[in-house]
Amino acid sequence: MTASTATTERERRRGAFGLSTILVRYLAPQRGWALGMALLLLVATGLQLLVPQLLRRFIDGALGAAPGAELTRIALTFLVAALLTQLLNAVATYVAAAVGWTATNLLREDLAAHTLDLDMGFHNARTSGEMIERLDGDVTSLSNFLSVFSVRVFGGALLLAGILVALWLENRLMGAVLTGVVLLEVVVLSRTRRAGVPATNLEREANAKLFGFIEERLHGLDDLRGNGAGAYTMHRFDGVMRNVYHDTRRAWMLRSVVWLSSYGLMLVGTALTIGTAIYLVGKGSLTVGAAYMVFQYLLMLQNPIEQITQQLQELQKAGAGVQRVGELLSLVPALPRGGSERLPAGALSVEFDGVSFHYPDVGPDQLTLDDVTFKLAPGTRLGLLGRTGSGKTTLTRLLFRLYDPSSGRVRLGGVDAAAADLQGLRSRVGLVSQEVQLFRGSLRHNLSFFDDGVSDDRIMAVLDELDMREWLERQENGLDTEIDSGGRNLSAGEAQLIAFARVFLADPGLIVLDEPSSRLDPATERRLEAAMERLLAGRTAIVIAHRLETVERVDEILVMEGGRVAEHGSRDLLARDQHSRYARLRRAALSLDLNATPDEHALEELA
Amino acid sequence: MTYSTNPLRLMLALGRQRPWYFALTAVLWAVVHGLPVLFGLAMRGLFDALAGPQAAGPNAWTYLALGLSVDAVRLVVMIGGIYTWATWWLELTLHLRRSLLSYLLEASGSRRLPDSPSEAVTRFRDDANDIGEYFEYWCDFWGFAAFGVAALGTMLLINPLMTLLACVPLALTVVLTSLLRPHIRTARRRSREATSRVTDFLGETFGSVQAVKASGREPFVLRHYVGLNTVRKRTALKDTLLTELFRSVTDNMVNIATGIILLLGASALKDGSFTVGDLALFVTFLPRLTGVMSFMGLMVVQHKRSGVAFERLGRLLVDAPVSAIVTPRAYDLENPQAPFEHAVKEVEPFERLDVVGLTAHHAGGLTGVTDVSFSVARGEFVVVTGRIGSGKTTLLRALLGLLPVEAGTVSWNGRHVDDPASFFVPPRSAYTSQVPRLFSDTLRENVLLGSGLSDVEVAAALELAVLDADLASMRSGLDTEVGTRGVKLSGGQVQRAAAARMLLRRAQLLVFDDISSALDVETERRLWDGLFAAGETTCLVVSHRRAALERADRVILLEGGRVAAQGTLAEVLASSPELAALLKGERSPDAGRVAAL
Repeated sequence: MTASTATTERERRRGAFGLSTILVRYLAPQRGWALGMALLLLVATGLQLLVPQLLRRFIDGALGAAPGAELTRIALTFLVAALLTQLLNAVATYVAAAVGWTATNLLREDLAAHTLDLDMGFHNARTSGEMIERLDGDVTSLSNFLSVFSVRVFGGALLLAGILVALWLENRLMGAVLTGVVLLEVVVLSRTRRAGVPATNLEREANAKLFGFIEERLHGLDDLRGNGAGAYTMHRFDGVMRNVYHDTRRAWMLRSVVWLSSYGLMLVGTALTIGTAIYLVGKGSLTVGAAYMVFQYLLMLQNPIEQITQQLQELQKAGAGVQRVGELLSLVPALPRGGSERLPAGALSVEFDGVSFHYPDVGPDQLTLDDVTFKLAPGTRLGLLGRTGSGKTTLTRLLFRLYDPSSGRVRLGGVDAAAADLQGLRSRVGLVSQEVQLFRGSLRHNLSFFDDGVSDDRIMAVLDELDMREWLERQENGLDTEIDSGGRNLSAGEAQLIAFARVFLADPGLIVLDEPSSRLDPATERRLEAAMERLLAGRTAIVIAHRLETVERVDEILVMEGGRVAEHGSRDLLARDQHSRYARLRRAALSLDLNATPDEHALEELA
Repeated sequence: MTYSTNPLRLMLALGRQRPWYFALTAVLWAVVHGLPVLFGLAMRGLFDALAGPQAAGPNAWTYLALGLSVDAVRLVVMIGGIYTWATWWLELTLHLRRSLLSYLLEASGSRRLPDSPSEAVTRFRDDANDIGEYFEYWCDFWGFAAFGVAALGTMLLINPLMTLLACVPLALTVVLTSLLRPHIRTARRRSREATSRVTDFLGETFGSVQAVKASGREPFVLRHYVGLNTVRKRTALKDTLLTELFRSVTDNMVNIATGIILLLGASALKDGSFTVGDLALFVTFLPRLTGVMSFMGLMVVQHKRSGVAFERLGRLLVDAPVSAIVTPRAYDLENPQAPFEHAVKEVEPFERLDVVGLTAHHAGGLTGVTDVSFSVARGEFVVVTGRIGSGKTTLLRALLGLLPVEAGTVSWNGRHVDDPASFFVPPRSAYTSQVPRLFSDTLRENVLLGSGLSDVEVAAALELAVLDADLASMRSGLDTEVGTRGVKLSGGQVQRAAAARMLLRRAQLLVFDDISSALDVETERRLWDGLFAAGETTCLVVSHRRAALERADRVILLEGGRVAAQGTLAEVLASSPELAALLKGERSPDAGRVAAL
């Protein structure tokens, strides 16, 4: 909660996105269909209104002196009108569903695009299970609402109006009584309508937490089982489950208030309407057939009112969903959109100019990067050293502009990263990291990262270069081989190779290698070396290393300490300088590897 | 695949979850669904009174009062019914989810999800709901059945011919809808699958959002998402179309039945053998009767649907029958939760572990180990090494029971271990996986995992895992929220936090899968030094780092899933050019090159 509050504070609001704004924006393109649906409903409602009138004529005719043929004709008309009503309603429902899906798919896509655009501060505070609930669950409740609500509520309202008009025409007292009943319902229902929204929000929140909890634990199944944490995890689950239990039941009860009050009102309505009818029949100003018609209209009234109130529950759900969709849409990335400048082609120069940085969820007193200044010529290879937590990874995050510096400038190819076109910048900087992201889908999609513009020939050329051709041929369906979610049917090494090929295909001007070979055994690592040489040729590279051997082939070394540049210079020169941190590190590593006494002094310096 | 997934049988087993409460709910809803019979009779009396001479018997007002009081009672009962149903339904669906998770976490044997975790979450959500809905049908069933019998009986007494003829279209409904149902089911399944593809993709995209963003791939990812959504829309619309067709059939048949009554009733009304009140009763009952019929039809659909749901849940259980998750359990959800009590199990001191002829493969069949034998004695440091894909991780996972073993035996202190999965847990052993996961919670909760140790002990473990300096720089210390799957920590910090988590298990045998991959040389040295200084520890470690290999009492070199060599580092180096080659690649600062400078 604290994390998301911080996020909200940080991200400015951008206007309100209420239900109406969203409806207008996404339904407008489909006015034609919506209009057609409205017409269908209009005709269907007219026919529906006719049915009780037919019944009244039938009864009065039967009790009176109408000929049998007349009665038969009325009965047949009744049949036709009733059948047509149904047919038209069905067509209208289908059209409404089509309109609803088209509209909400557009919303889904916009929402996904918008959310992907939000900064990492936002994403780090949320589980992917939670994102599924937000991007899909919430929109789906809106989709149900759009496809069903429009027909049931719009059609129902039409019917309601029609019934009232018909009754006014029949008998003013009758009309007045029923109008009063309907008005009463409208007033009471619009009061109770909002009752469920906060509770429904709580219910959704609790459910999102439940499924987020489950998903995380399923990801960590081995860790939990191997450490005997089953009982404890279930204890935690019980806590989460308890919240779902209480919040959901509360939400249900509050939501049912709407429905139950409508039912109670209907009871009052029946008493008033039928009472009036009995009175009017006794006075002789209403025929038995007309009384029966009133009864039928009353029954018919029950349906739209039940539908409307039921859909009002949906409206509450959709309202709560839309509220959160709106919240999501109104978040503005803490990271400004960037300019339009394009980075030059070829290898990129890198320049950090007085860059300080702290993560958004901590204060400026906790700098992760503190006045970092350095320059790399195009085509240079830099080895980035430093203890875990010294700011190496953060430094590279600024290169991708996942964050902006708190102060100072980052320039790539001479262009200020903040002024560059964001997409363009990121496509020119490649990342090979320890964690390889693989998707459920074909190998081709995983290699091209969903870019359908990449031809198979190019993919094959890159695989050749990486010496992966033979491996590919062993796969069942070549490039169409299905990769499991998270790449679980691949070894860490295979996954790493795919990540390499992916960067190859993207052809960037700057490559960040975040200790990519850490999970590779030395033999595989060597196999990659030649390919890596080819990948790095003509490109600038920054290599983050946890092991010194990783940076044996770099041109320059930069050592980070507590977010500051402790040392930066040519690797050769630093290696020769006995007092340089790099040289001391090398000695320490050597002695460690040989299991001799480590150079305590050097290690203390580093610690 | 065929499982014993007869929903009825499974439901009976599940229904033992607070059966009396369920019975109470069913009774309440039986009253709610049954009372309209009385309401219909009241309306009949009312209209007959209106049409006839008003002198004799109870007049229209009395009937009105009767009808209204019936409805008022119904309203009150309904409020109770909603409350008891909500309570029971929630307990049931949560119980299903709990049993499933508990099974995956705690049952014996190896557990591996057949699909992605996101896909599995969809099952936890939708399939448990489907089963819950099936119970809803059983809850409503009795009332609807009672109404059906009473309404039909009354109508038959009034006019058998008309009742029978009106029932023909209703019976037709049953036939037509049963023809439609399989199509609806298929359409629904397709639609469900398309939905799971969409949610799966969302889960993966946002699970790796940093990679997507850093490579500027948002447009391509979005295009793929659009494609998946389009398929989903198509399948969902087909589902809607069939469902609407279904609804049209049932609703229209009521109208046809009413039309038949009118046609037949014209003359009967004239000769007085059929009254206006009778007509009112027929017309009031007919839609409800169709409602009852389509309810019965839908109940069959839901029966099958819950069968599918059970089957899908069964797939998550892999080898166990679905009945494993339907055993009732007593809950006390109304009162606050009792604190967790960590149970410490006493086990005999570890002496030795013997693995003989172990053979296991991943589901894909590509990587695996064959006929691997080795031993670990108390206090030893044993390192498993080898190339990528040589089976190192597979070996550890099979040993610990995280993967099914095809052949071979594992014995602990000379006694055969029947179920490694439930045997290799603290205090016998603890494990850090190759890619350890943390959970959205505080650092303290993550490392403690419920073992109520003090902060002093936690601090000691964190120091041993070389996380103490990092901890000092975290403003909230142990209360730092680590974020989803630990994203707020660096890769190395997650790895070391996982190591601390393992150390806090106080286990006799520590199993590390490649702990060093995210650690720098110096951090790794401190970790091993600390571990050795802390006292007698037995370690089984996967590593290809010199730092670990040189400490090893025994090195096991795997090649293509088989043991290529085994012994001290010197022995293995002497007998295997493979390891020499592996280590040569690692020999850090190349002496020749240093000299050249």
